[in-house]
Amino acid sequence: MVPDAGVSPSVELSDGALVDIVLKGDSEAYARLVARYRDRYARFALHMLGNREDAEEALQDAFVRGYRSLHRCTEPARFGSWLLAILANRCRTAGGRNARRERRFVSAEDRHYAIALDHPAETSALREEINRALARLDADQREAFLLKHVEDLEYEQMAVVTGAGVSALKMRVKRACERMRRMLTEGEDAPAR
Amino acid sequence: MRQHDETEAAPNEDDVLERAAEELRRPLRIDAALFDARVMDEVHRGSTGLRDRIAQLTRPRTIRVSPLTALAAALVFAVAIAGSALYFSAPRVHAMPTDIARTASGSPLVQFGFVAPHASSVALVGDFNNWDPKATPLRAASTGGVWSVEVPIQPGRHLYAFVVDGTVWRPDPAAPQASGEDYGEPNSALTVAEPGAQ
Repeated sequence: MVPDAGVSPSVELSDGALVDIVLKGDSEAYARLVARYRDRYARFALHMLGNREDAEEALQDAFVRGYRSLHRCTEPARFGSWLLAILANRCRTAGGRNARRERRFVSAEDRHYAIALDHPAETSALREEINRALARLDADQREAFLLKHVEDLEYEQMAVVTGAGVSALKMRVKRACERMRRMLTEGEDAPAR
Repeated sequence: MRQHDETEAAPNEDDVLERAAEELRRPLRIDAALFDARVMDEVHRGSTGLRDRIAQLTRPRTIRVSPLTALAAALVFAVAIAGSALYFSAPRVHAMPTDIARTASGSPLVQFGFVAPHASSVALVGDFNNWDPKATPLRAASTGGVWSVEVPIQPGRHLYAFVVDGTVWRPDPAAPQASGEDYGEPNSALTVAEPGAQ
């Protein structure tokens, strides 16, 4: 730790600047990065894993791994994408491990989530239906759909995060959209093709 | 309107999918104070462990080495360093872990050596120290740019690498390489034998 290396909370620093400060010994600056990406990536982990406990555990683990490997972040300005890659990898591992465990659907069973959404009760059935359809997607399709249409990443960014090729990712998104549409409009289980 | 690739679906043109995406984009708020505290606790716990590990590594200790083992280790180490000096341009980096002794607990004491004459710091990172670049700094010899450290390592297969000047990640060119399991970067593999194993 470098004494007096603290950063004024009122100063909005870039990811790259914060990574540099952390690498110079001010671990407290890492809290700024945690706060910056916490909520958005918690949402991604929750949609990937289907329950809040696993999602928070995966996210916490990703942040800690990110800190311990920060010197391996070759493009500090893209810390967010780099961390998302760690989180996506962690979600894949956790998703495989928990494959046999029943996913819990957030709108029906996660009271905290429902409260946090602050959403009219009549939409909960729709929300549950959406989450149920999302849960039925193959993990790679779910990941691609979320990165593209929820996190709004470009395909090139998705390739960096997932390690998959752009063509493969486009196909995953296409199939995910087809299955989601079919499940949401026709109510069918839409087995994987 | 945005043009779509032929393999790309267009949820913005599809009310059902757009509604689904909109629902999924709704913000999720978690208990920020609790979550942040848990993360930073882990971060600080690693830092505390770091101090302990450095203290452990710098504490004077007696290493018992049989003359034959010491001679063999010294020869291998010297050959490795000489080879690296011929092979690498600046910054010259080389390592050769050599089991030369065992600690009182029975863990083999492994010596790692580098030639990095232009480096200002060299650190050993591996699964045995949580890949923490601050946990195991190498010490520079007075001349020759040779860096070294001795680390007690549990028997088994381990992955490791070196960090030069705090930023440059280097696998050990003298050891078998293993693909990075988490981050896609190559690491080196080291197998430490059980005590008594040949």
